Amino acid sequence: MMQTPIRILLVDDESAIRRALRPPLVELGFQVVDVSRGEEALQMLRAGGFDVVLLDVNMPGIGGIETLRRIRALAPRLPVLMLTVRDAEEEKVEALELGADDYVTKPFSMRELIARIRTAVRRVRAPARAEDAPIVIGELRLDPVKRKVTKRDQPLHLTRKEFDILLCLMSHAGRVITYARLLTAVWGADCREEVEYLRTFVRQLRKKIEDNPATPVYLLTDVYVGYRFADPQTFIEENVEGVAEENAPEEASN
Amino acid sequence: MSFIHASAVSANAVMLLAFALVALLIIFFLMRAKNNARKAASWRAQVLDLHEFTRRTLGMNLRLEPGPQLAELVHEIFALEAVAVFDAELHQVYPAGHWSADPQELAQNVYYFGTSDDDPKTGLGRRVVRLGTVPIGSLVVRGKTSPSTNSAIASLIAIAFDRYRAFANESRMETERRTEQLRSTVLDGLAHAYKTPLTAIRAASTGLGEMGNLSPGQAELVALIDEQTGLLADLTTRLLTTARLDAGEVTVHATAVDVAPLIEEVVTSLGDRLASMKVELDIPEKRVVLECDRQMMVMLLTQYIDNACKYSILGSTITIRAEKVHAEIVFSVRSFGPEIPINDRERIFDRYYRSTARASRANGTGIGLSVAKRVALLHGGSVWVTSDEIEGTTFFAAIPATTHKRVF
Repeated sequence: MMQTPIRILLVDDESAIRRALRPPLVELGFQVVDVSRGEEALQMLRAGGFDVVLLDVNMPGIGGIETLRRIRALAPRLPVLMLTVRDAEEEKVEALELGADDYVTKPFSMRELIARIRTAVRRVRAPARAEDAPIVIGELRLDPVKRKVTKRDQPLHLTRKEFDILLCLMSHAGRVITYARLLTAVWGADCREEVEYLRTFVRQLRKKIEDNPATPVYLLTDVYVGYRFADPQTFIEENVEGVAEENAPEEASN
Repeated sequence: MSFIHASAVSANAVMLLAFALVALLIIFFLMRAKNNARKAASWRAQVLDLHEFTRRTLGMNLRLEPGPQLAELVHEIFALEAVAVFDAELHQVYPAGHWSADPQELAQNVYYFGTSDDDPKTGLGRRVVRLGTVPIGSLVVRGKTSPSTNSAIASLIAIAFDRYRAFANESRMETERRTEQLRSTVLDGLAHAYKTPLTAIRAASTGLGEMGNLSPGQAELVALIDEQTGLLADLTTRLLTTARLDAGEVTVHATAVDVAPLIEEVVTSLGDRLASMKVELDIPEKRVVLECDRQMMVMLLTQYIDNACKYSILGSTITIRAEKVHAEIVFSVRSFGPEIPINDRERIFDRYYRSTARASRANGTGIGLSVAKRVALLHGGSVWVTSDEIEGTTFFAAIPATTHKRVF
């Protein structure tokens, strides 16, 4: 099955970064158009045909944040990944609140970048999930209608708020949800500052859903930004690899 | 900045001067009341001279040492035969006029023996120059000034010395602040300039890996580039953080933080680095809450634990403890490794300071602990370390449990 290649618009004012990103992306089957300014990016996007935008935050001219704002006005659903630096958490939060899909922190690895690109694109391409359909990620299953969560078919006993947090995170699995957004979703806009409160709940929640709460695999922390539920694809890929290895000797013997 | 302060110093000086003049005028009027016309005329002249002297000292160049200027002024204005001013802080005697012998010893003795007197025969007046009650120098004059005038001159010299010191202190602090600011700016600029090449290198090396088809040798080299880039990136981030902390461009965003999850989070984030160590958490009270900037406290604890990891015996135990002691939360991280020499225990928190005893064995940068110290200070807390071969090395940080939001 041949999928249509993913078309990437790469926006970064540093030519060294554009030169470093292009060859591996192209070789791995992506189509890449790169520009160095937000203004150029908007022009390219008007012509259409892109599946995802990689957008540097710090650029001369209108800059990444303003470019993002204008992209959202132009194409509300087009996945946008921000390229940010580590000590700029406020920028990350701002970008996410303006509708960026995700961010990667410089210096990132290509594996991380590619995984994020695929997740973002898959989300847009996937058929919309019915809101009341159960969500299955790894060994966890959440039923939004019955408000029940099971792990390896064993029911987990969650409080109402714990369930609400989990529902919010699992229905956006793979995406980072900012503290403010999560707090607003579960407690209302008045509580958007109460991060410490949220941490206490997350800690309890981890004790219930994780095998080892100290090294979570489901409920992940994006330091200073928010929480992210693990991308369902990561569990599927692990299983597929496992299955493939197991099957290989059999095929050979046939 | 320095101008504002200098004028504040002048304002004080002017007030003191006004006080001195009023006192002299009172004496002047008392003399007049005694109807001693001749003396009164001489007093009047001396008061005018004192006024002139005060006016001129206020106009003195504060960037030059005050001694020579003052000696010359006194000599000129009061028409004295000879003047010597001793500045105890600089340990210098400044003569003016005609001295048949070097007045150095004479002036110093006045200061050391605290002799203030007037000898009508020789016309020699000696005064200890005091600021309040503290002797800061001495004055020796030979000429026709009265004892009270000599005392007034000594007081005015004290005020001039004081103004000069305040000014020098202020300029030194200003210079230090500017140097620090400049250094921080340079560091900040450098760290930012490193980010782009680092990103390109990491993308290129990991990109090579993703493209596949590498021989095992090639793959190993690519992994090495990646790993080393990671180290550089880490260092760059740390430099940036210290630059900001030092430049004072930091606001403490204080929130109520539950200490147990805070420590757990730091331990989790250190992950692999702690893999070869035993970690013990010791938080005696069930719930310890600290009002602090969470991000900064994470930096402090990360530094302490990472440091313990670097300098302890492989496989030994690191004990992390937090407890409320009176109004403070005291964090401690204890580990077992070589003892920190007593001379290093204070300086180890200074930036770029690396103990010579340890320099050869750990890949530290000499930045980390200074960050921990800055964080504690910004919260109104303190840091210290104890170290001994048997009890191990323990780094402490005491942070007030409730802090007011402060802007730095």
